[in-house]
Amino acid sequence: MKVGMTVNGVGEQVDVEPRRTLADALREDLALTGTHLGCEHGVCGACTVLVDGQPVRACLMFAVQAEGASVVTVEGLAGVDGTLHPLQRAFSEHHGLQCGFCTSGMLMSALHLLRTEPNPGRERVREELAGNLCRCTGYAGIIDAVVAAAAELGTTLREP
Amino acid sequence: MKPGRFEYLRAAGVAEAVRALVEAGGDGKLLAGGQSLVPLLSMRLSRPAVVVDINRIPDLAGIDGTDGTAPSVLRVGAMTRHAALVEQRSHPLLAEAARWIGHAAIRSRGTLGGSLAHADPAAELPAVAVATGAVAHVTGPDGERTVAADGLFDGPLMTALQEYEVLTAVDLPVPSRWGFAELARRHGDFALVLAVVAEVDGRWRIAVGGVAGTPQRLACAEALLNGDGATPAEVAEAAATEVRPGSDVHAPARYRQAITGELVRRALARADAEVMS
Amino acid sequence: MQRVEDPRLLAGRGRFVDDVAFPGMLHAAFVRSPHAHARIVSVDASAALAVDGVLAVYTAKDVDWLAPLVSSGPMRDDVCVQSRTPLAASTARHVGDPVAVVVARSPYLAEDGRDLVDVEWDALPPVVDPLQALEPDSPLVDEELGTNNICHAEQSAGDVDAAFADADYVTSIRFHSGRSTAAPIEGRGVVAEYEDRGGGRYNIYSSTQMPHLLRMFIAPVLGVPAGRVTIKAPDVGGAFGLKCTVFPEDIVIPAVARLSGHPVKWIEDRWENLAAGVHSKDMVCTMEIAAKADGTMTAFRGRFVTDSGAYSSVPFSPLVDSQVAGVYLSSCYDVQNVAYSIDNPLTNKCQIGAVRGVGWVPGQLAREVAIDRLARTMGKDPVELRLQNMIGPEVYTTPFGQTYDGGSYAAALEQARDAVDYAEFRQRQLRAREDGRYLGVGFSPFVEPTGWASASAAAGGMPIPFFDTASVTVETDGSVTVTTGLHSDGQGHETTLAQVTADELGVAMDSVRIVYGDTDSSVFGMGTYASRSAVLGFGSIRESAGQVRDRLTRIAASLLEADPSDIDLVDGVARVKGVPDKSVPLQQIALFGYFGGTARPDDIQRDGLTATAGYDPGETYANGCAAAVVEVDVETGLVTIEQLAAVEDCGVVLNPTIVKGQVAGAIANGIGIALLEELAYEDNGEFISGNLINYLYPSTTEVPSLTLHSIETPSAVSAGGVKGVGEAGTIAAPAAIVNAITDALSPFGITIEKTPVTPEYLRQLLRAADHDRNKLVGA
Repeated sequence: MKVGMTVNGVGEQVDVEPRRTLADALREDLALTGTHLGCEHGVCGACTVLVDGQPVRACLMFAVQAEGASVVTVEGLAGVDGTLHPLQRAFSEHHGLQCGFCTSGMLMSALHLLRTEPNPGRERVREELAGNLCRCTGYAGIIDAVVAAAAELGTTLREP
Repeated sequence: MKPGRFEYLRAAGVAEAVRALVEAGGDGKLLAGGQSLVPLLSMRLSRPAVVVDINRIPDLAGIDGTDGTAPSVLRVGAMTRHAALVEQRSHPLLAEAARWIGHAAIRSRGTLGGSLAHADPAAELPAVAVATGAVAHVTGPDGERTVAADGLFDGPLMTALQEYEVLTAVDLPVPSRWGFAELARRHGDFALVLAVVAEVDGRWRIAVGGVAGTPQRLACAEALLNGDGATPAEVAEAAATEVRPGSDVHAPARYRQAITGELVRRALARADAEVMS
Repeated sequence: MQRVEDPRLLAGRGRFVDDVAFPGMLHAAFVRSPHAHARIVSVDASAALAVDGVLAVYTAKDVDWLAPLVSSGPMRDDVCVQSRTPLAASTARHVGDPVAVVVARSPYLAEDGRDLVDVEWDALPPVVDPLQALEPDSPLVDEELGTNNICHAEQSAGDVDAAFADADYVTSIRFHSGRSTAAPIEGRGVVAEYEDRGGGRYNIYSSTQMPHLLRMFIAPVLGVPAGRVTIKAPDVGGAFGLKCTVFPEDIVIPAVARLSGHPVKWIEDRWENLAAGVHSKDMVCTMEIAAKADGTMTAFRGRFVTDSGAYSSVPFSPLVDSQVAGVYLSSCYDVQNVAYSIDNPLTNKCQIGAVRGVGWVPGQLAREVAIDRLARTMGKDPVELRLQNMIGPEVYTTPFGQTYDGGSYAAALEQARDAVDYAEFRQRQLRAREDGRYLGVGFSPFVEPTGWASASAAAGGMPIPFFDTASVTVETDGSVTVTTGLHSDGQGHETTLAQVTADELGVAMDSVRIVYGDTDSSVFGMGTYASRSAVLGFGSIRESAGQVRDRLTRIAASLLEADPSDIDLVDGVARVKGVPDKSVPLQQIALFGYFGGTARPDDIQRDGLTATAGYDPGETYANGCAAAVVEVDVETGLVTIEQLAAVEDCGVVLNPTIVKGQVAGAIANGIGIALLEELAYEDNGEFISGNLINYLYPSTTEVPSLTLHSIETPSAVSAGGVKGVGEAGTIAAPAAIVNAITDALSPFGITIEKTPVTPEYLRQLLRAADHDRNKLVGA
């Protein structure tokens, strides 16, 4: 099936079997390998992307369901010149990543949180990121990073 | 962990979805939020020939009775996402229960109808439906009908919905008082046991999840609660003796049974059940 | 400081094994045993082969040209050598054991084929209980071996029997450390291509922690010299010891790449990862302590039985759990009479491998839980009892002959005690109990061999040489390239090792590039595990960079007409001490080093500006202490960790941020081991924890904010005084948590005998305690 969608602001079309997950379409058909697969049954959160602004497990959605949707992946976070998004910068500054495998999903979940709640406290960040597993960091650096990014970004993340 | 092959149909309306199910001849599956179905497909525990996507059917999502008046019954479209259930203010019990479901990326996709039709015995919304005496609206080849929540759940992942029926909306009575308590190993996990108490039309109802193949009404505990003079501890004890849970990897039967009483007690405490004093 | 690796990983531009693709690449799916123990009667692949896009199905017969994969363990006479075929030929020995592999045009099609491969099984009686496996009448997991026990060993020092005979107090516990695993977010994965030239060569991408050792082990199985195998491991998405094992799939995928004539990719799914990777820490421990009336502990005696699974893993074998639990038994205590015995029974479960903290975790649990019990028996404070028996901070040789390189054993415990406001906590605990709330505190001081090298391995009863090399090159333009056989799968070596190199050479860090994860371009090294890389990386780089620095200094001296001893190399510029305007930039020195003709010293004419050096340090041991404060909900048995404090002494710290990150991640793992993680088998050997819904590990909400402190006791033996870090938190945290839970429930007098401490287990203990108390009241 042919599926048209906007990915990181770019109109794309892929031709996929209906059973192809959105994650595989992004990774294999669009070569956006920043979205990682950690469990393929919706628990680990590594494949989290934004679909029409909402966080979605890309392993639990079929590419055909994204027809007409706007998808944002980790590759869409940094500026075109490679400038890291403030959230990405905060992850680096607070050692919020080690191996980097869960990081993409973690960033997308955090981005959604900061867009809906520009000033979450540590406990809210903790609660909201519970759906993204990380085996390296013990989460301390991740929570620090999101709280710091929230402070830096203020309300500028409120986007439609 | 990749799904097996299936044919995909994006239904434009309920009638088309029903027709597609009929044509699939029992080998079709409705795709709502996909948060339970897709893992089953990926693990190849479910292998339908046809997947009928009902995400784009207009009017299946949405909440009536949120116009500022306090409705006594909230009509919620089957494709209303958990995130929207959390957001709404008309049915605080529904919002609280939905908050306990998974995580943001699950709640953004998962739906009320999907949860009820999937009928996981440890899920939050089926227990809320039973505890409040909800009514499900379904459409099938022979037209529309309603199914009371008390008769909706047949067993683990089994419902009274016929093979070709589509759940379209749910009427959820808004309780005047309520309490919700859940115990899970981690934040966002399926409940080991959950308890819902709700006062609807002046009568208390109690439903627990995770202790049987379906959400279970607790008739004896309810009778005590609706009678005179029973203490919360007595109601809770009745609740614990009334359930016959099974064991799984997360907890053995005796544990589930033991904490059922405690969770009912906590739900009652949250309901501020002065009725018993 | 921003890590060198961060920008690419944050931008989603890392290159993990699943991101690697070759033209014409096929995808593999393994057919695996659904049985714990079964004979393979026949394999019928015809239905699978009828699927469009399925190209081939291979069984053991098709790869019978492979040599067996042999586990010789630590090369000790008392350890059985076990061989296996990479695909099970006649018998499957655990759920998940690979018996055939399907290759197809896509992963989806490969799974379509896998589902249609029809294997006829003849079920055999499974061996599930490790203690029954040791009985003479037990069925055998591997008939060829003639025994289920991979190794029985005993060691004793001092006079243990006499110490127990003379003891005023004897405490004895039995503890079952649960079965857990690494479960990195990225599973295993292999992409292999075979080039039919020059006698054939394999080009392999692998998610491994040890490229060179992997090559060393698989080349002979594939039947080619090691030089014809290239292992590349670019970015690895977490490993934690899982990926320092040599797996059947590491051999089968290259083999079928050769057979099919196509590059082949296999990406493990989560079920495979949990069912057929490695498991860890499943150990039945008994621990006895003899003590005098004044609290002096006089003897430790332990028995450690590792439920080893069906295969002795390559290269570390199940001794990586049992042996290390035993041989380090005296830990940081001045106990001179020590004895242990180990057994390693095979069972029809997944093999035991080296996972973060390995056997130190069960060993620590057994000892520290027993010490708390002794303290309760004697009515002594558990912190005081430990301090009373602790060794001093100086270099110390244990009864089993390990020589600690100095540490802050008592200081770490004292700092951990202060971090949880111990005295104040006891007051708070009493007040809480009056409100029906149960709070508890627990401590777990530890010593851990780090910097795993020949000396420490030998001292641990694993007498295999371990060392590493590094090659440092100052390029013609003055930039620096370092190659190492160490690997990085989250540890940030591109940062830390660049920092070390820059410091040594007096250059800017961003002019240094660390090359690793490719056997073609990196010098030989043994890989990253056992908290070894800081020590080995620092030592090998300091040695090789030191040699290059010496050459740079001599060139600069001759260019500046000064004595080499007067040359300072700082920020990429050589200056003459005290003469600020006499300087030459590194770029010019380097250019001269390469093209200065006969004006250069002879050795530089010969060796240029490259030096390769190895490092094999003496024994290094990190130490520290974890302290946990918990609250137990006695109605549900649910445990909440209120505070977790850890004091870490890993010697001289190279990068505080990275050390903190290692400690924090390891503690989270330890929390999982204590409370959540359990790989469960049914009595018939069926595996029931094959997804992340059933195998639980900590998310953000189960890991509290951590209180992390550091003490730096420089190693007396290693280059720069570095000791190494990585596993500490995993070793220390579980015992601290179990002790805290027991402390919280001290009014009930419960004894915890296993991990994970699940709500239902605790509630069961509480019920039993209630029952006992009622009986007492009744009597």
